[in-house]
Amino acid sequence: MVEISINGKTVDAEPGRRLVEVIKEQGITITNLCYIDGLEPYAGCRTCIVDIEGGRPSSLQLSCTAQITEGQVVRTDTTEVKQARQSVMSVILANHPDRCLTCHRRVHCMPGDICLRDDVVTHRCLTCSKNYRCELQTSCENVDQGDFSEPWVGEKRSYYETPPPEPDRANPFLEFDPQMCIICARCVRACDELRHTGALSLAGKGHTTMIAFGAGGQIHESDCDFCGACIDVCPTATLMEKPNKWNGRADDWTSAVCNSCSVGCTITYGTSDQVGSENIPVIVRPERINPVSQDQICVRGRFGYDAIGPEDRLTTSLERQNDRLVPRSLFDATNLAVEQLRTVIDSHGAQTIGLLGSPLATTEEAMALSALADSIGTPNIDFSHGVIHRSVLSSLDQALGTNKLSADLTDIEKSARLVVIATDLEESHPGVSLRIKGAARKNQAKVVLISPRWSELDRFACSVLRCYPGTEANVADSLGKLETNPPLGISTEQWNAALTIVGSNEEFSDEITSVVFAPNAIDAEMASGLASAACNLAIGMVGNTTAEHLFYLPVDGNTHGVHDAGIFPKTDGKAFREIILGAISGSIKGLIIHDDNPILNSPDTDMIISALSNLESLVVIDSVKSTLSDYATVMLSEAAFYHRSGSITTADRRVLLHNSIDSGVEKEKSGIEIIKRIGAGLGFDFDRVFSYSALAEYPSEEALVQQQGRLRAIPDQAVFKAEVQEIDVPMRRVDDLAVFTSRSLYTSWDGASSASEEADKLDREGTAWVNPGDAQEAGVTQGVAVTLQNGSHSITMKIKLDDGVAAGTVYVPSYYRGGAIMSLFALEGLTGGLPSVKLVAADA
Amino acid sequence: MPLETESTLRIRSIIKDFKPNNGDLLAALYAVQHEMGYLSKEALAVIADQFKMFTAEVYGMASFYEEYRFDPPAKTTIRWCSGPACRTRNSAGIRDAILATLDLNETGEQTEDGQCSVVVGQCNGTCELAPMIWVEEHKTYELPVGKLTAAKSIKLARGLRSGSGIGEILNG
Ligand code: SF4
Ligand code: SF4
Ligand code: SF4
Ligand code: SF4
Ligand code: FES
Ligand code: FES
Repeated sequence: MVEISINGKTVDAEPGRRLVEVIKEQGITITNLCYIDGLEPYAGCRTCIVDIEGGRPSSLQLSCTAQITEGQVVRTDTTEVKQARQSVMSVILANHPDRCLTCHRRVHCMPGDICLRDDVVTHRCLTCSKNYRCELQTSCENVDQGDFSEPWVGEKRSYYETPPPEPDRANPFLEFDPQMCIICARCVRACDELRHTGALSLAGKGHTTMIAFGAGGQIHESDCDFCGACIDVCPTATLMEKPNKWNGRADDWTSAVCNSCSVGCTITYGTSDQVGSENIPVIVRPERINPVSQDQICVRGRFGYDAIGPEDRLTTSLERQNDRLVPRSLFDATNLAVEQLRTVIDSHGAQTIGLLGSPLATTEEAMALSALADSIGTPNIDFSHGVIHRSVLSSLDQALGTNKLSADLTDIEKSARLVVIATDLEESHPGVSLRIKGAARKNQAKVVLISPRWSELDRFACSVLRCYPGTEANVADSLGKLETNPPLGISTEQWNAALTIVGSNEEFSDEITSVVFAPNAIDAEMASGLASAACNLAIGMVGNTTAEHLFYLPVDGNTHGVHDAGIFPKTDGKAFREIILGAISGSIKGLIIHDDNPILNSPDTDMIISALSNLESLVVIDSVKSTLSDYATVMLSEAAFYHRSGSITTADRRVLLHNSIDSGVEKEKSGIEIIKRIGAGLGFDFDRVFSYSALAEYPSEEALVQQQGRLRAIPDQAVFKAEVQEIDVPMRRVDDLAVFTSRSLYTSWDGASSASEEADKLDREGTAWVNPGDAQEAGVTQGVAVTLQNGSHSITMKIKLDDGVAAGTVYVPSYYRGGAIMSLFALEGLTGGLPSVKLVAADA
Repeated sequence: MPLETESTLRIRSIIKDFKPNNGDLLAALYAVQHEMGYLSKEALAVIADQFKMFTAEVYGMASFYEEYRFDPPAKTTIRWCSGPACRTRNSAGIRDAILATLDLNETGEQTEDGQCSVVVGQCNGTCELAPMIWVEEHKTYELPVGKLTAAKSIKLARGLRSGSGIGEILNG
């Protein structure tokens, strides 16, 4: 730390830091229209001018390029500085509608008023979507731009004289209106340096320079994946979220967690007092609580709140009367559910009740559900993906002596060597994919990717092992054993590159090595094999510190939390599959499902449906009108996720607090209240508080509130056990084409679970990926509809020819049409885990 | 990921000798434009892949230069010399006459049927021909036509627009 003086005040600052950041930390207002905190300065806007004593050639210097040095004497408040900033600003405004910005009346004007300065209605801040939340606007206020003599008065002005460039409103997420752009290039740098996506650039030259997407076309044709990082940094109304462009001015913010994948990015919901927008979020922004996500989120985190329309939400509770669902108050419907459950318990016994929780719920809701099962006296409790999760945990236990890995996801970006095993991490766990890209680009990390399908990570990897789906474990295991010959189907060149990286422990001994795996969500045998193989591979690279370097990424948000909370079958209890079989055979009569949807999540749709139809009572607690509504006897309308509070335990077992935006209205509809009321209705004592802090290894509430984002539910003592396991999954290939699937980026859980028409708003994922060779053999061409035929089951969809899937394989996103692909998989497990299909051209 | 098709393979073969981080990008862009007539979106993506860059980066860079085109060129391009010698011999009048004949507003545009376009050219020292233009058909011929008069240029533009060959127009 050194001492500097800012406006006469002595300040301690770290030498070498950018002056502008230190000035802002002191609470001094300064304009800095092109600087992005933490990134290299761009020095394009010149609005951050300050006076630094002794500066050369003049004391007027840019505070974003200036670095802190001992004894600096800085002034931000001299007349000279102010005038310099005003004149710089006037140049920026030459290309921006500015009448309101230089007008003292702005605060008094309303959008419909006649402008005293005779401005065109559409050229005013007052009618701009960013009015009163605009950085350019505040910057003009900061420098009193209205006082500045306007050198252009009476001249032809470029903004008002040139026809506005075309806006791009063709996609559902991002609106781009370049007439507001001041070419600060923040968006270009955010996309490049913060996202490693590089979807936009400065195109052209001179005064016609414009922001362009991709190869100069529309946004959705570019590499953009709609994370919105560019929106966050844009100081004007040029880049805006489409759903809330006109109503996104928030009065209040609430910290929350995204539950769309297990990364658990922390977000903040903006809410507004405006009539019509009470009690719903009007905007979502990233919030720097989780050090893994920092200031970044993906398209699901940003737009998930708006994923489905009101018609797909379950806003009233429903009772089944024959084949109709009749609206009921939550109170009545809960009583009805209690009655039905009591009838089942009384006539068939408590053991005929099953419960399904969900990793989309909070840990507290899961604790309540688990307590409900205990009170009822049934050991049959699970969630659709439960067995997958538990099989991974037991593989970890066997190899490492613990399943609570201490590996910290903030290490990913610092790693110098990474092995990633996943189908498409970019789509399933975007937040971790981002950090892997960061390691590759900022740290020149060597990345080995084992994956059956092309993903955006391919281009960041030094070696891509494109394997036959289901053989990831074998490939990882062989790689761990440094076998000289590549497994069948893997390119020798890529294999050798991978061997060099994995085999160079010496070279990487001072640096961080990380192994990341994201198992599939369908086949437990495949998942546990993969977990063991990942352990073996990691053990070969980092020995008995494996637990610190191995990352297991569960599919859904709060998988760890709900498992810890007790959502697993108790002694002699039925697991998910047995519950389904039991429903068919009659040993399960009543089922309570909270937030889960087996029709979307579980293989073998036919079997699931016959199980659900066979139940005497199916009580569904959900906030969306999911496809379960066709079979439910009672649907209890739960508050949306943003109306509920609780905690979430992320992939690296970080405990995060999720807060409700609600001021009380929706509280009684929260999952936890509904579960408690069912419990109380059944005559049990449910008058208690459920909190994560009661769980083993979880932090206390006090500690968590103080150290939000930093505390994790892991053992105090580091575990140093690492035993290589035998991998006994044989390398199997199916006869025809193997179908594999995984989570896709753009389809929300809510949309998929309710099979909403709008589920995939961007329509990037409604296709099956087919290798061109296979297509040719089947006689089908790009874009046509085909039927994937597996015995009596089939699904018909459009295909996309792609070299990114290996010959002999077909990829279908798991959330496509409410989980349609699940009908091809078997609940009993399939040999090799994958269905074998024939490709048949569908009749036109 | 771009699917390899005949056209992407063709682009790959045009740029196969260019390497990333070697100052080769402009040359690669030039080679592709020279072969294909313009830089298509597909070409930009393939070039980006070869150079391990983002497509947008390549586009941003290419769009800096007037020389690169992102749309297919017209069948015949009239490159109008904007140099000083031509200017003193009424090249502006020649340009306006050609534009008017072709129903175009400004240089850089092409006729709706894609037959002709007019672009701005630079003096290459053949000022003895002033005022002059170059008439080009991509990869077929490039012909300086000099000592123009308004009447001559109108006749030429009309001929090109109606699809007559350049030889026919000049000799007829
Ligand atoms: S972008 Fe900002 S400064 Fe520009 S018109 Fe809109 S509110 Fe005003
Ligand atoms: S939304 Fe994200 S990916 Fe798209 S341009 Fe903006 S920063 Fe880049
Ligand atoms: S779009 Fe926004 S962030 Fe990008 S250059 Fe324009 S004003 Fe700056
Ligand atoms: S990376 Fe995962 S947790 Fe983060 S915003 Fe995206 S879906 Fe949500
Ligand atoms: S913030 Fe310093 S020049 Fe833009
Ligand atoms: S000025 Fe036209 S050819 Fe030189």
